[in-house]
Amino acid sequence: MWPPRTRQARRSASGQPADGRAAVPAVSATPAAPLGADGEPLFELPAELAIDTDVARRVIGEFMRGQLRQSGFERVVLGLSGGIDSGLVAYLVAEAVGTEHLLCVLLPYRTSSPASQADAEEVVRRLGCTSELRDISPMVDGFFGPDGGDASAMRRGNFAARQRMAVLYDRSVTWGGLVVGTGNKTESLIGYTTIFGDSACAFNPIGDLYKSQVRQLAAAIGVPETIIRKAPSADLWPGQTDEAEAGIRYPELDRLLYWRIDKRRSPDDLAGMGFDPAVVERVDRLVAGAEFKRQVPPIAKLGPRTAGVDYLYPRRRPGSTRG
Amino acid sequence: MTPLRIALAQIAPQLGLLDENLATHHGLIERARDEGAGLVVFPELGLTGYQLQDLAGEVAMRLDDPRLARLAGAARGLSAVVSFVEESGDHRLFIAAALIEDGEIRHVHRKVHPPTYGLFDERRFFAAGDALRAVPSRLGVGVGLAVCEDFWHLPVPQLLALDGAQILINVSSSPGRDLAATHEVGLGTASSWWTLMRAYAQLTTSFVVFCNRVGVDESISFWGGSEVVSPTGETLFQAPLYDEGLFTVDVNLGDVRRERIALPLLRDERPELQLRELARIVAERAGLSQPARDSTAEPGAEPGLDVAPEDAPSPPIGFRAAR
Repeated sequence: MWPPRTRQARRSASGQPADGRAAVPAVSATPAAPLGADGEPLFELPAELAIDTDVARRVIGEFMRGQLRQSGFERVVLGLSGGIDSGLVAYLVAEAVGTEHLLCVLLPYRTSSPASQADAEEVVRRLGCTSELRDISPMVDGFFGPDGGDASAMRRGNFAARQRMAVLYDRSVTWGGLVVGTGNKTESLIGYTTIFGDSACAFNPIGDLYKSQVRQLAAAIGVPETIIRKAPSADLWPGQTDEAEAGIRYPELDRLLYWRIDKRRSPDDLAGMGFDPAVVERVDRLVAGAEFKRQVPPIAKLGPRTAGVDYLYPRRRPGSTRG
Repeated sequence: MTPLRIALAQIAPQLGLLDENLATHHGLIERARDEGAGLVVFPELGLTGYQLQDLAGEVAMRLDDPRLARLAGAARGLSAVVSFVEESGDHRLFIAAALIEDGEIRHVHRKVHPPTYGLFDERRFFAAGDALRAVPSRLGVGVGLAVCEDFWHLPVPQLLALDGAQILINVSSSPGRDLAATHEVGLGTASSWWTLMRAYAQLTTSFVVFCNRVGVDESISFWGGSEVVSPTGETLFQAPLYDEGLFTVDVNLGDVRRERIALPLLRDERPELQLRELARIVAERAGLSQPARDSTAEPGAEPGLDVAPEDAPSPPIGFRAAR
């Protein structure tokens, strides 16, 4: 017999239920944030975003094993940047299907931070997985020219992300594995991704986890502390950070998105909770403007049955396993 | 009354693979019999998998299908509840659960509440059943079958108990979601379901048997946690979350008699009162009652809604608001 665990319901700082409609604390506490080696919290964890990491690891493990089995693959290819998202996914894949089935590809550009590469190498060393280094500078510079021409940072960044995708899908063939996605829910919602670049994958185990939840899971599974602590960055130029670019900190952004989207609260409700209405409006615009990145492109409906409209089959179904 | 050993087949059906799932059922029916079980319960759509979409018509079986006859034939010396896509004579597709005993299909329940909201899309592919019946069984007690969402509607367990069921059996494919750390076992879905099961067992003074699947279809993970609850509302057994297995639990069917005499809730139900009030409510909601008859309604209230809105919308065409 399996004894169900019981747990005292956690209360937020204000003493109200964390899910109460009218009882949301303006400033959230961090009751569950794990501590680092120095005794300080590794990160700020808003109370309402705390998840049961054991359950999450179990669900994600079953999900990935199912995806692989149903498509006839045993191996996984992962683009490892040295950041927390891909680092966490590397650990999750290793836990779910075994380190020997994981290929980590390090894909730096010449302006990428050496510290990122060192962090990625540390993940590879700790997991003991197969890895390879593919410098994408010749691919990117071959197109824009060595000085980048007059291309904006956004163009160069998007192009670099798509070169990484191209390498991963090529290695998918030679390694015989599926490309695993590493995008999180926060960046997907606000559109901080490159369509057909870093968002391209066969399946994504962490796409329904906010950045704060990625951090919580990373701490639970043992991702190195330096990776959890450092400022998230797309690493397109030295000193770039997500939070500086977005103009909002992740704990606040995650809370805003959680109440607005998962809990269906109105902008007025959020204002009542203490969110800046101007920020809520800006984030709403980002989310709406990125809808196209999250969906399969629409096909003009002409025939009797059209994929995604009235031809609806599971991705993985009888006959879908590779031969 | 002799003790009954119940076997919960908490399996992970393979999506769309009817033959493989049939083989699993045959194997587990045999194993349950070897282990002395008098009743073995399989989850919702255990023979086909859940997320079928357009596969539904391809895996559907009529009740005269020889594969069902063979399965019923395998259930000798014990009762089994199995679930599949049933195609009726007029080619409607139902999510069905069947009680099979000693070579016969003793009873078929067609899911009466196929959910179509949130992550569910069942009415797009399936028809809703129109009947709820408790049936006698070789176990010597009445059996009431329900499928998943059927138990999210209060009348279902009550009607089955009033119709003579002493064991309420719910077979499910419940997708796990909401991993907030505040929940009993880190999974909101599990807490909700277990709460319902305990309440139904106590209120109907019946055994409740809940068999939920595990495994993954597409994005959705099913959480298991199958259980058996006694007529006192006590959880006698709870299967682990996410683990596949055949779990057995012994119950004493005499508990029903003792509890129903000690706590005569079912005796004191007032079905004739419900019938009268329901007839009134149905008429009012349809706008068919005479205005004067709805003595509790405020002036200007919509039919069936006793409270008048602050800014009264115009009533639907053909409806008369009470004055």
